Amino acid sequence: MNQLTKIGLTLLTAVALCSVGCKKKPSNITPLPGAGQSSAPTTSFASDPIRTTRPSNTGLAPGNAFQPGNDSGSRAVPFDPNAGTQKSDLSAPLGGTDANPGPRPGGDKPEDRETLKGDTVYFEYDKSAIKSSEYAKIAAVAEYLKSNAGDDLVVEGHCDERGTEEYNRALGERRALAVRERLVNLGVPASRVTTISYGKDRPVDVAHSEDAYSKNRRGEFVLLKGGAAVK
Amino acid sequence: MSPVRCRSWFHRSIAAVLSALVVLQSAVGEENILIDAKTQGTIPIRLVGFPREVEDTLTFDLSVVGFEIVGPGKGQYEVRGGADPEVKGVLLEAGLNQPRFSRAYTGGSSRSQAHALADDIVKEITKLPGIARTRIAYRSVSGARGSHNQLLSEIYVADYDGANAVAITQDRSVAVAPTWVPGRLQLLYTSYLSGYPDIYSQDLTTSARLPVAHFNGLNTSAAVSPNGTHVAMILSRTGNPSLWVANLDGSNPRQLTRTSGYEASPCWSPDGRTICFTSTAEGKAALFTVPASGGAMTKLKTGGILNCTEPDWSPDGKWIAFTRAAGEFKIYIVPASGGTAEEYSAGEDPCWAPNSRTIIFTRGRDPSRRLSLLDVPTRRVKDVTRISGSCSQPSWTK
Repeated sequence: MNQLTKIGLTLLTAVALCSVGCKKKPSNITPLPGAGQSSAPTTSFASDPIRTTRPSNTGLAPGNAFQPGNDSGSRAVPFDPNAGTQKSDLSAPLGGTDANPGPRPGGDKPEDRETLKGDTVYFEYDKSAIKSSEYAKIAAVAEYLKSNAGDDLVVEGHCDERGTEEYNRALGERRALAVRERLVNLGVPASRVTTISYGKDRPVDVAHSEDAYSKNRRGEFVLLKGGAAVK
Repeated sequence: MSPVRCRSWFHRSIAAVLSALVVLQSAVGEENILIDAKTQGTIPIRLVGFPREVEDTLTFDLSVVGFEIVGPGKGQYEVRGGADPEVKGVLLEAGLNQPRFSRAYTGGSSRSQAHALADDIVKEITKLPGIARTRIAYRSVSGARGSHNQLLSEIYVADYDGANAVAITQDRSVAVAPTWVPGRLQLLYTSYLSGYPDIYSQDLTTSARLPVAHFNGLNTSAAVSPNGTHVAMILSRTGNPSLWVANLDGSNPRQLTRTSGYEASPCWSPDGRTICFTSTAEGKAALFTVPASGGAMTKLKTGGILNCTEPDWSPDGKWIAFTRAAGEFKIYIVPASGGTAEEYSAGEDPCWAPNSRTIIFTRGRDPSRRLSLLDVPTRRVKDVTRISGSCSQPSWTK
C-alpha cells in the first residue's frame, strides 16, 4: 500500500469515527481529551470546549466527536503556567493573566442581546478608534453595568467585507478592545468585560454597498445576565 | 525539432518501451530544487493515447506548472501512453533518439497514477518537484448563513486539485485559518467551538484534537515553523492583537510585537529564522519581518503598495506573495528582501506550493468563493474545479 492510499484510508477512518455520539458536559472548563489514552470504544466523551461555552444564540451544536480511543481521557491544557504574568488592568485586561486562562467572564449566564442593542458602536472604514459620536453610548453601557452588578458584558467586534479574513479578525478584536478600554476607563471592572471578534463573518447587512459596510463596522454589546455581583 | 521523428522512433520501439514496467513508489519530499520562478516560459507538450480521465488529470497537472497542451506537430515533448487499466507513459522529446523515460504505475486509482506520471514528467523536464500528489487544507463555508448572518464553516482537506475532499471538522461552528504542520498529517486551525476563537491542533491520523491557544480574546492565524517545533500566531491576551510564538503545543508563549497598531497573518521564512506578518504599526496595513527569536520589526519594502495582508513566503526563500486589500483584492509578489511588488491576479490569501512556483489562492466572494491556482511564471490562473461550496484560506502541505 503506498503512502497515498494509507493517507486516504486514514482520513476515511477519521470521518467514520466522527459520527460517534457525544454528550454535553456543562462544567466550567472541560479539558479537551488527551491523545493516546485508551478506553472502551463505546465510551461517550465530553466534546465540549475547553472554556465555558456561551449559553445561547451561539449557533453551536455539540462538538465533533473524535476517535474514542484517543479522546475519552482527560488531559490538562498544555500551557506553561509560568508564562505571562502581567497584572495591570489594561496590560492584561482580559482576565487571562496566567497561562491557563480559566473561564471567561459570564460563565453560563444567559445572553441578552436586546437591552444594549441601541448602544451598538459604529466605526470608520479600517479604523478602530472610537468616534466622539459614540462616546455617549459607551458611557450609557458603563452606567448600566454599574447599576447591574450581576451582569457581565461581551463586546463583539465586527468588520465590513473589504478587509481580508484574518486581518479583519484582528481589526474586529481591536475594535472590541477599544470599546472595552473605554468602559474600563469609565470605571467598569476589566474582569466583567470580555471581547470576541467575528471579523467579517457576521454582517448585519450582506449587501456589497457602502450603506451595508457602515452598518457592519460595529461593536455590539451582549449582556450575560446574572443575579449576583461578580468580583 | 520535428515531432515526426519522435513518432517514428515511437513506432520502432513502442513494444519494448511499454513492456518496461517501473513501479513507482516515490513520496512527496523531493529535495527542494531552487529555480527562479519568474524565468520559465510555457512548455508545449502533447498527450497521446490516454483515456479521458487520465488525460484530464494530466492536462490539469501539467497546465498549472507551465506546460501547454498542444495538438499534433507542435509539441517539444510528447507523452504516449495509456491505461489498461494501469497507467503507462513514455516521455519523448523532439530531436532525441531515446525516450526521456518510460514508466508504468501500479497501485491506487488511475487518477493517482496519472498524478504520479505528471509529477515524473514535471521533474524530468523542469527539475522541479511535482505537486500533483500534494494536498491542501481550506475553509469551506457550509450552506447558508446561520443566526446573526453567521457564516458557518468547516476545515477540509483535499488533493491539490480539489479531488477527494474530506471534512476534518464537523462542528457546525466556525472553523477557519487552517495550516499544516510541515511533514506531518497534522493541522492547526482556529475554531469558535467554545464560543470564542481558539487555536486547535488536530492529528489527521488519529483525529485527536488539542487546544494550542485558548486565551481570553483572540487566538488565531496559526503558522507552524518549517521544522515543526514552533507556532506563530495572533493573540490579544495582553490587550491588543499581537504576534506571538510558542512551542507547537502552545506552551511557553512569547510576545514578539508590541505596537500601537495590531498584527495579523504571520508566515515563516523557510530557514525558520524570520517571521513575516501584517501590522498597522505605521498606519495602513503593511508587511513587516521580525526575528523568530525576538527583536526589532523591520518594514518590508513593497514599492509603496499599501494595505498589504496575508504574506506567504515561498519555500525557496526568494519571494513573498501577499494580498493587497484596496478595493478589489489582488495577489502581489515581492522579493523576500523587499523591492517592487508586482500584481499577478485578482484574489486573496495566496499560499505557495512546495515547488515555489505555483500559488493557490481564493477568488470571488461569499457565498461563491473558489480556490484557484496561479502559475507564477506564466501568470496563468486555473480554478480548482472539483470543490463545491464557498472555499477560502487555502493552505498547501509543507
